[in-house]
Amino acid sequence: MSASPAIRSQFEGRSPADVKAPVRIAVKNLNFYYGSFHGLKDINLDFRDRQVTALIGPSGCGKSTLLRTFNRIYSLYPEQRAEGEILLDGQNVLDSKIDLNELRSRVGMVFQKPTPFPMSIYDNVAFGLRLYEKLPKSELDGRVEESLRKAALWDEVKDKLKQSGTGLSGGQQQRLCIARTVAQRPEVILFDEPTSALDPISTGRIEELIEQLRAEFTIVIVTHNMQQAARISQFTAFMYLGELIEFDATTKIFMNPAKRQTQDYITGRFG
Amino acid sequence: MTALTQTLTVARESAVARIAPSKTGDRLFQGAAYASALFVLMVLAGILGSIIYGAWPAFSEFGFGFLTSSAWNIGTEQFGALPAVIGTVAAAMLALLIGVPISLGIAVYLTQLCPGWARKPVAMTIELLASVPSIIYGMWGLFVFAPLFARFVQVPVSNLVEGLPIVGTILYARIPSGVGVLTAGIILAIMIVPFVASITRDMLDQIPTVLRESAYGIGCTTWEVVRHVLVPQASVSIIGAIMLGLGRALGETMAVTFVIGNANRLSASIFDPGSTIASRIANEFNEADGLQLSSLMALGCLLFIITFVVLIIARLLVRRTKVA
Repeated sequence: MSASPAIRSQFEGRSPADVKAPVRIAVKNLNFYYGSFHGLKDINLDFRDRQVTALIGPSGCGKSTLLRTFNRIYSLYPEQRAEGEILLDGQNVLDSKIDLNELRSRVGMVFQKPTPFPMSIYDNVAFGLRLYEKLPKSELDGRVEESLRKAALWDEVKDKLKQSGTGLSGGQQQRLCIARTVAQRPEVILFDEPTSALDPISTGRIEELIEQLRAEFTIVIVTHNMQQAARISQFTAFMYLGELIEFDATTKIFMNPAKRQTQDYITGRFG
Repeated sequence: MTALTQTLTVARESAVARIAPSKTGDRLFQGAAYASALFVLMVLAGILGSIIYGAWPAFSEFGFGFLTSSAWNIGTEQFGALPAVIGTVAAAMLALLIGVPISLGIAVYLTQLCPGWARKPVAMTIELLASVPSIIYGMWGLFVFAPLFARFVQVPVSNLVEGLPIVGTILYARIPSGVGVLTAGIILAIMIVPFVASITRDMLDQIPTVLRESAYGIGCTTWEVVRHVLVPQASVSIIGAIMLGLGRALGETMAVTFVIGNANRLSASIFDPGSTIASRIANEFNEADGLQLSSLMALGCLLFIITFVVLIIARLLVRRTKVA
């Protein structure tokens, strides 16, 4: 089961997985149900600080479901429920007493499709800020610029901040959504197939951006694209039929996986 | 290369002989579609033309004064449109003022807050409301709603505001009979709510789930999601729905004729009786002739213009929202 030189060369010069980084999110015995359907089965998994963790697996394996438990966005739908523990900095986010709005400002999320709000570019970023912080105008301006810079969008939009966010291209819209998320200074950013609706050039820019964002945020990304997982993540979790099959450093998963199923999936034999 | 050409030639020769389809059917179809489109335009032009023709004596007799005069005297043949025009606009505006917030509330409740099992029954009830004939609303308004409204709203409110500046005029009923401009506005509001609510609900339903989730995803409360993301996202369609409701409120005849009181005088109080263009025409067309009939035609013409202006404003609003 050793990897070809081509696969090996992919990882050269990449930042290695930091196995000593503190654990930001600890998932313990997590079970998830859609009505009576058992969507996630006894998941145990740690997500480390300032590392990119990729969740891979065939459609319906539960990777998006897992992602959607971290900010409890699933609770918008009454028939969905989670059991177990998800500790964010030691605090269980599944606790019914937790303030959902505050949780979601700490755990940001970027979706499959760009979702600019129907307001100006400036307001798209400032909107989330205004919800939680009362900032004077000048400081707000500064935070908006800072966020747009971090999302590598500032140079493209600095002259048209008052224009509608929906007028941007798909890739720009997605970076605007990233800026909006970054502006709230979350601890964790969840990406749910963030490039599946984008062209290869925009995809490349988003991937570079995720690499840069890792310096400040803990990142979890769901992706269908195994090359993408290999390119941008330090850790990879392979899931299948609601179970976590294998979790390890990305280099290990792609070059020397421990399980047969993982090997079959990453070499394209099923999935 | 040669071999390829040969195979192509062979294939061509072995093809079945085809008969070109006849063009006649297509032309007939095109002609029929064209004629249908033209027919609508001709009907519109015909109605407009005959109304203007019928209204001409009144317009030439009273000139611009027809718009500004509040006279309506059959004996001396003096007619003016002002009370009816103001009544029409006032009743419709009151209807929007009352009906639009309720409609938005219903649409938001049905799409965002309502538990799954209750969605169907509530939506059905609202659609049923839309199918109630307007005469029923009129009768109910006059015989059931108006007496209650007089007793529990007009009398206490009038007592409360009597003598006060401004509100003492707007909300004072000289004769608290229950009928009046506000009563008409309320009945009209009930009538437009089903339309505005169901269109708004459809539009909110069409907003992609990810947009809603991403608004919740940055920590918005339900109110913030609805107020800042969902409603603005659907704003163009919501304005369209409101304008549709306004169109209905302006032209509604039967129910309004029952409850507005049909008084031909201008009053600053929304509790006082008034009249709308449609109610005036409905009340008088039966025994009208000569200049009075012509004046009614002229009123109809004005209603046509008001509705048309509403449509233009709606278009402009929709265009502005699209740009922003």
